[in-house]
Amino acid sequence: MRRVLPVAGLVLALLWLVVPLAPVLVWAGAERWSYPDLLPGAWGVTGWRDAAAAGLPFALLRSLALGLAVAAVATPLGVMTGRVLGWRLTGRPRLVVAALLVPLVLPPFAVAMGLDVVLIRVGLPELVSVVLLLSVVAIPYTAYTSATAFARTSPELEAQARALGATPRQARLRVVLPAVRGSILVAALLAFLVGWSDYVVTLLVGGGQLVTAPVLLGAAASGSGNDAAVAAMALATLVPPVALVTVAALRVRSSGRTAADRLPESVPPEERMR
Amino acid sequence: MTLAATALASALLVSACAAPSADSPTASVDRPWDEVLAEAEGQTVDLWMYGGDDRGNAYVDDVLAPAAADLGVTVRRVPVADTKDAMRRLLAERAAGEDDGSVDLVWVNGDNFATGQEAGAWLCGWSDDLPNMRYVSDEDPLVSEDFGVPVEGCESPWHKAQFTFAYDSARVTDPPTTVAGLLDWAEAHPGRFTYPAPPDFTGSVFVRQALYALSGGAEGVPAAYDEGAYGELTPPLWERLRDLAPALWREGRTHPRDQVALDRLFADGQVDFTMTYGPATLTELVADGTFPPTTRVLEVEDGTIGNASFLAIPASSPDQAGAMVVADLALSPEQQVAKADPDVWGQFTVLDIALLEDEAARAFDRLPDSPVVPAYDDLSRNAQPELSSSWVTPLDEGWRREVLGRP
Repeated sequence: MRRVLPVAGLVLALLWLVVPLAPVLVWAGAERWSYPDLLPGAWGVTGWRDAAAAGLPFALLRSLALGLAVAAVATPLGVMTGRVLGWRLTGRPRLVVAALLVPLVLPPFAVAMGLDVVLIRVGLPELVSVVLLLSVVAIPYTAYTSATAFARTSPELEAQARALGATPRQARLRVVLPAVRGSILVAALLAFLVGWSDYVVTLLVGGGQLVTAPVLLGAAASGSGNDAAVAAMALATLVPPVALVTVAALRVRSSGRTAADRLPESVPPEERMR
Repeated sequence: MTLAATALASALLVSACAAPSADSPTASVDRPWDEVLAEAEGQTVDLWMYGGDDRGNAYVDDVLAPAAADLGVTVRRVPVADTKDAMRRLLAERAAGEDDGSVDLVWVNGDNFATGQEAGAWLCGWSDDLPNMRYVSDEDPLVSEDFGVPVEGCESPWHKAQFTFAYDSARVTDPPTTVAGLLDWAEAHPGRFTYPAPPDFTGSVFVRQALYALSGGAEGVPAAYDEGAYGELTPPLWERLRDLAPALWREGRTHPRDQVALDRLFADGQVDFTMTYGPATLTELVADGTFPPTTRVLEVEDGTIGNASFLAIPASSPDQAGAMVVADLALSPEQQVAKADPDVWGQFTVLDIALLEDEAARAFDRLPDSPVVPAYDDLSRNAQPELSSSWVTPLDEGWRREVLGRP
């Protein structure tokens, strides 16, 4: 019984994620699907053609660019913060944590609504504003992910590299960073997803300059009658992040294993005792 | 040229420096159209519009935008899930005193236009001067007032809509002839009628139509919202709709989310009536076999509600000349007739055919006659005006509280 419950829980959780997607999957290949048929009456690629005609390929490219830009800003900043938190380099970790929580507690919609007037006044280009604002939303994720990684890695590692003659820069970039590489990848992925999937900030702060996949999807899904095209857009928006997460999960697992294998050599036995 | 440009620049400067106020900035008056055209050349006009209508999107991308390109103006369509998204952006720009905003043209009417007008967010005094306005009748109340708010040159008309009920004559052998009669019919035929849930656009106008029917017509309801009238007129309306609910599709426990969802119920034979603010689309739906060939438009003796939608230019737009050129182009007989073609978008023209030159008038005559939909003139007989936009939200809210919330 004790074993069955977690498994059942896992299966339920997976079903909860996957079942709502089933109609989307079917619709994306449907030509016509009317009541009371359980399955579409005709299959085809009309949905994909309509979605492409509505500008889906470019919207996906724009989403990709936005995700990469957000990851490029939020990952380094998050890793720096994560190092400070994970290695307890600050006397006031609670203050840092509280500051990091703010963007998570405030809904992005409220942030966008409040900040858009300010950002317009400041006169920053819209695209810069979007990347900055989304990076603020992404930094808590990148910071926490890397903080756990640093907490698992001994600060002694850096000291040892220094003792062996590495410059501070070399010690950080060539010894510490590779040791937390897997987590940095996950952090970058989370930041990428923030940029990839955002609707409100991209539209309101971006001033419509950046029609990303979610913006296109949101507009198309607000009408009905084009379910096949909407399903195609939803699927195209969903698959790349899922594929990325899967690849990252596999890589982190294998690199985690090798890191664990390597660890006994790099840390002397008496260190491990502590 | 220089004088006019300086005047425009200083007008912009003044509007940018002044604290945001309710005074709408005015376009410099009586500028020769050639100057506007010259200034527009090379500008990119960001047209923010509801993106949930495929045919509307296709018309703008494939017909309007190429024609604008011939005039040297690039049209960039920004699709939004709700026109309120565009309003949020341009009100933020207005609040920030921005004069280099990112919204140049908005497809708008009713509530959203009124909101922008209250905030002084629209550029005013320009639409009357558009060259193609000469084809629009001065006496057309649909074009001079937008849900009870005077237009005053702050937006240019784009198309007209007439609320319409359609039914399957094979299944409905005794069609009602009034809106009140339609409600009685629904009660007598359980499960065969429903309407989209307000605040959906179509569901919302159905409720207003029912309010007229139960209040003795449009004359019985003051166009401007007042609480006294609301308190007096709506209780019978809510009571009638509550009583009707058990006889609706799925006992009124759920409603289709919008007109297209209702259309699908009608196409699948689950209900016998559908309703739309864009009846021209009925022709195509019958032609492509979605709707049965026996689909007919219900003749409503007491008339249905009509309105118009518009293109408005925000005061914060940096491409106002370009936006005016696009608005004027959209009003041209060529564009209006293309848009009215049921194969393209099927939107009724705002032009008065009697004012058109012969050739243009013939183009409208050549539009295919629909076996389903009567001509606009017949459809809009006894047409009733929209209520003021300040009625819309209280009625939508009231319906949710009194009808949906109290089964």
